Amino acid sequence: MATTEGQLDETAEGTGEARVGWRHTIDQVKRDTTARWGMYVIVIVTFVALFSALDANLNRLTLGHISNYAIGQALPLLEHPERIPPPGEIYRNEPPAFAEGGSWEHPMGTDHEGRDYLTRIVYGTRISIAVGFVATFIGLVGGVAIGAVAGYYGGWVDDALMRFVETIYAIPALVLVIVFTVFVSGGRPDVIYAVVGVGLASIPVFSRIIRSRVLSVREMDYIEAARAAGVKDRNIIMRHVIPNSFAPVLVYATLQVGVAVLIVAGLSFLGYGAQPPTPDWGQMLNYSHGLMHSSPWHSIWPGVAIMITVAGFNFFGDGLQDALDPRIEN
Amino acid sequence: MTLLRYTAWRLAQAVPVLIGILFITFLLVNAVPGDPVRLMVEGQEVDQATIDMLEARYGLDKPFHERFANYVLGVMQGDLGHSFHRGMPVTELIMIRAPPTLMLVLSAFVFALATSIPLGVIAAKRRNEPADHVSRLLAIFGVSTPSFWIGIMLIIVFAVWLGLLPSGRLVYPWRDPGFYGLNNRLELWYHSIRHLILPMIALGTLQMATLMRIERSSMVETLQKDYVRLARAYGVPERTILRKHAFRSAQLPVITIVGLNLSTALGGAVLIETVFEINGMGRLIVQAIAQHDYQVVLGVTVVLAFIFLIGVIITDISYAYVDPRVSYGDED
Repeated sequence: MATTEGQLDETAEGTGEARVGWRHTIDQVKRDTTARWGMYVIVIVTFVALFSALDANLNRLTLGHISNYAIGQALPLLEHPERIPPPGEIYRNEPPAFAEGGSWEHPMGTDHEGRDYLTRIVYGTRISIAVGFVATFIGLVGGVAIGAVAGYYGGWVDDALMRFVETIYAIPALVLVIVFTVFVSGGRPDVIYAVVGVGLASIPVFSRIIRSRVLSVREMDYIEAARAAGVKDRNIIMRHVIPNSFAPVLVYATLQVGVAVLIVAGLSFLGYGAQPPTPDWGQMLNYSHGLMHSSPWHSIWPGVAIMITVAGFNFFGDGLQDALDPRIEN
Repeated sequence: MTLLRYTAWRLAQAVPVLIGILFITFLLVNAVPGDPVRLMVEGQEVDQATIDMLEARYGLDKPFHERFANYVLGVMQGDLGHSFHRGMPVTELIMIRAPPTLMLVLSAFVFALATSIPLGVIAAKRRNEPADHVSRLLAIFGVSTPSFWIGIMLIIVFAVWLGLLPSGRLVYPWRDPGFYGLNNRLELWYHSIRHLILPMIALGTLQMATLMRIERSSMVETLQKDYVRLARAYGVPERTILRKHAFRSAQLPVITIVGLNLSTALGGAVLIETVFEINGMGRLIVQAIAQHDYQVVLGVTVVLAFIFLIGVIITDISYAYVDPRVSYGDED
């Protein structure tokens, strides 16, 4: 059996070629200006998300007026008394630096509890990026498994799985995620349920994309050869079918990170995503919606942050798609 | 297969999906740890007898499969259950709340098509020129911006700062003008449109961006087809080629995407209705969740999915109408 496997690896020499293909793809993405900018945005936002955790500038993040919440947050400050702002320096609803009454101490102003808006925006990247990647990963694994099995076996397996997928797809993703989050959490929604919900809701598109590729890949000679050599179906699917059908899935995954960020932002906006005091862009928009008339700047920043982050993934994904699409070449 | 038989076949195919939708939503809504009655009376002083009474009243004392069977039977007769909170049948409630949502979603698609088709055609015609790049940027930012935030920004700019348009709620053209203190139909229409503009743009931007990309790539592909090149070789003016030869056949993928995007638009309506305080189905489901009114949540979810299914079937059928090459799914 071991020899067969060894031979098969040689049969799948395509992986060697594929690697050259990948290099070609990367070169093309690098040459695409907008895709490159998208990549910069992704790298920067991810970096900020990872390292904002290290900056424990607590008073800028959480301290405003003394609320129960602030007291809870203030306890650690007892160890760092120098970080407690003097009494006169607590401002609520301060406008951004460029507006009248603003100061550069809080470039984006402060929120309704006197917390620095810029800091909260920066911390908001953590939730968004984590949500985007984890939800996409769940959708990708689930979707690829379902789509590959459906496409490879065909027949009633395919019919049953695809009907299931269509069913999930028919329910608007946002509604599905809200219902999932609220009911599965037993009325105590949190971002973790939202992430799983978005992941499940994205299964249909992933499975459709990979299925349509698998339908052509399964007819290839090397699959035939593997089958003739007596390789188990599971190994054929895992080692040959999925790797050779993966390119469009990868493109879609990049775009899906953006979609996940948008859905969770919507969910948090409705109050079913990240719960306060965790800083989250959608949830910040939820607060600011009520302050639209008195302090409209609150509504600007989180939206811009979401837009830039999601656009980063979309530009990159778009460039990747062009690079992988052979029709664009000529 | 004739078109009529194809239609019947597509409708029949939708039945298992519909039952699947009922099952999944029913399962989710019943996944509540504890039970919906307890959730409903949370925070109130209620004795066990009342809880038992409520459970019996809503059939919650029966096992899961029995409840599900009852629910499916009810849905087949158009009965979506009873609202805990509002004390009325869910079907009736949805009948009241559906028209605003449909009006909003349809207008968003009208807006999206009216803007994306010309922009997409221009981008395809001037491929790799500045106009094309601008449309690409526009499209990508369009799909990257949360619709509800666009709504908030539109309200801040056009309603709060400029005071040009109303900031929310809709005026329904099918109501009596007197209801809004207006004199005639014309005035009613005028106000309906004014109220609809901002939510329509907020909801339609995402669709516009998606459709613009599809329109562009579809046009680019069609313009490279042999028959178009033949027409060009015959000296047919580029304008005529664009209008008469390429345009129509390039619309097929656009039709498909419109159908599929109905789902996104219905989901988006939940947010837009919340931002603009429109009493449609989207706002209803948000309110129902907050009120633990689970029959309403279930009902609205099912109806939204049902609307989507109908939309997809309509696009499939219209596709078959427009394109004679579409096979109706039979092998022979």
